Amino acid sequence: MESIMPDMQPMNQTVQETPQFRVLTEDQIEQIYFAALDVLERVGSRVHEDEALELFRNSNEAVVSDDKRVRVPASLVERALKSYPRKITLQGRNGKRSVALQKDHVYFGTGSDLPFTYDRKTGERRRTTYKDVTDAARIVDALPNFDFFMSHGIVSDVPNPQTYDRHQFMAMLEGCTKPMVVTSVDGEGLEDLWKMACLFQGGEEEFRLSPMFVAYIEPISPLTNDRSAVEKLLFAAEKGIPAMYTPCPSSGATAPATIAGMLVQSLAETLLAAVMCYLKKPGMPLIMGGVTTVMDMRTTTYSYGAPEMSLASAANTDISKWLNLLMFSTGGCSDSKWLDEQAAIESTLSLLTAFLSGANLVHDVGYIDSGVNASLESLVMNDEIIGMVRQVGKGIRTDEEGLALKVINEAGPGGEFVTRDHTYEHWRDWFLPRFMDRSDWETWNSEGCKTMSDRVNEETQRILDTYEPQPIDDATRKGLKEIIDAAEKRHSQ
Amino acid sequence: MAVDLGKMADLLIAGKVEDVSNMTQEAIDEGMNPKEILENGLIAGMDVVGQRFKACEMFIPEVLRSAKAMSSGMDKLRPLLSESDSRAAGSFVIGTVKGDLHDIGKNLVAMMFEGAGFKVVNLGIDLDTQVFVDAVKEHKPDLLGMSALLTTTMPRMGEVINALKEAGIRDQVKIMVGGAPVTEDFAQEIGADIYGANAASSVDKGREAVGK
Repeated sequence: MESIMPDMQPMNQTVQETPQFRVLTEDQIEQIYFAALDVLERVGSRVHEDEALELFRNSNEAVVSDDKRVRVPASLVERALKSYPRKITLQGRNGKRSVALQKDHVYFGTGSDLPFTYDRKTGERRRTTYKDVTDAARIVDALPNFDFFMSHGIVSDVPNPQTYDRHQFMAMLEGCTKPMVVTSVDGEGLEDLWKMACLFQGGEEEFRLSPMFVAYIEPISPLTNDRSAVEKLLFAAEKGIPAMYTPCPSSGATAPATIAGMLVQSLAETLLAAVMCYLKKPGMPLIMGGVTTVMDMRTTTYSYGAPEMSLASAANTDISKWLNLLMFSTGGCSDSKWLDEQAAIESTLSLLTAFLSGANLVHDVGYIDSGVNASLESLVMNDEIIGMVRQVGKGIRTDEEGLALKVINEAGPGGEFVTRDHTYEHWRDWFLPRFMDRSDWETWNSEGCKTMSDRVNEETQRILDTYEPQPIDDATRKGLKEIIDAAEKRHSQ
Repeated sequence: MAVDLGKMADLLIAGKVEDVSNMTQEAIDEGMNPKEILENGLIAGMDVVGQRFKACEMFIPEVLRSAKAMSSGMDKLRPLLSESDSRAAGSFVIGTVKGDLHDIGKNLVAMMFEGAGFKVVNLGIDLDTQVFVDAVKEHKPDLLGMSALLTTTMPRMGEVINALKEAGIRDQVKIMVGGAPVTEDFAQEIGADIYGANAASSVDKGREAVGK
């Protein structure tokens, strides 16, 4: 195409490929970081696990008190921080390396372990089952804007609560081929899940190069680490399994009521884990986390829809980038009991904020009822929101093609653009809504006056009726069953 | 001049811990009836706090500050009250079951019960079944509360109830259970008496069950 721009190379140009969003300056991040180091030196964190306490004692740097409180000097923290990878590529069970975790690459996925589900037939709230998890898995596999899968629900129809995690992982695998984030009961549970994943990947070494899942682990705020969490973390460190140790403080209840204070405490909790893993085996792929929100002072609910959650999470992402750690963040979730206007508003705000912040794994998409209730329709609705949010992230090109002087010239005063080549080539850059209705009133009326929830409902049903994920081959299935059966046998004794 | 119990109630509503404590002492020094101080000063104030909380005019931090003011007054009054009066609202033992280190929800409930005038024993977290049994024997509470946040630890609540049955003391105490994954159905299933959906409604149901 012949240029019609004046032939000149301008000087002192700054262009931005994407919008820029930042909550904290570098100075503020440093203030928070140094404060967190201070917490680890003075307050410490309590660790209820013997091997970890031994590791801290043997470091000859950390100080372990009789009450299991561990205090760590800054020098050890800083050494540990240098050992973590800045890139992890996850692959699905289909072998597709689809999630490249690195700075400012953003991926979206579900949350996990919701105890309740609205039954799609009866509308009643009941305990979540194996089939619910498989259904959620199929939905996520089918939806284009979901990149990874957490279980959404917790399987309750299993023989033993101590082995539910193996069945849950199996339910996830049945329905979804995308990379996953998994929860497990304890270290032994995580080991089984990892063995199950290795069956797909052809062994430990391949898993280490491009893992199929990340282990979700959380401390208990404030500054407490329970046995099973630490077991999982140490096992992950030993085997090179990526893991996030994600504090879930509620501001005003289990953390200070100021966001900065909550971030300090939450970072101290993360740094303690960073040191613990480093002492076990340097270099495991540790991911920073934090579901940092407020406790609602009317209901005591741990809020998944608060704007403070979005703000604090974005700030946490700023901190993670400064620390060269990957970030596990939160969005697309709601306190609303039902998939309604509130759910849409809260989901949108947190998705947009998390996306703009550049967090790597944005989870809990589709949560309603403050992380208690599962809704498949919520997944479908959020898929559309993610599409819109990603569109905002595309930014604006101001090169010659973007400025479009040629086509403005061609159309001239009073002309049109709808038939132009330029339009034909570029309109596809736009977001194409699937559930957002932009029709005229007559059309909308004649097609049954459908609301957003009607459309989302139909799509959910369509996916459930028609979508079949790539099946698991018989040999692998047999191997998976053996691992699960062995776990059942161990725990029935 | 006689101590103005209405003013004491107002100070309690405003969360003035020290003032309420001092005023309680003054009232005692003046020879006022301890039971009257309790009912017309402290409990009268907390009743208003409860109403305002329900009407969304007061929020948790304010309610807890008032509860602290209430306790500060109770500390002065308790030695002077008869055993039955000091347990005016009832007594409550609460703890988190084995394997669960989650603390905050249970503590909130404990604080709210204290605010309602209950005598509260907070056993802590990660408790063996036997700890609950021993506590019921020792404190003979009107009400026992148990909490769990994890679905893996939830079944322990049923185990505690069974252990209380085996010890022959199940019927001495009303049992309340709560925590995010706990439901009314689950509470019934394991044989608990009360399901506490949140801190505030737990207190309401607790008061009702104790009937004081």
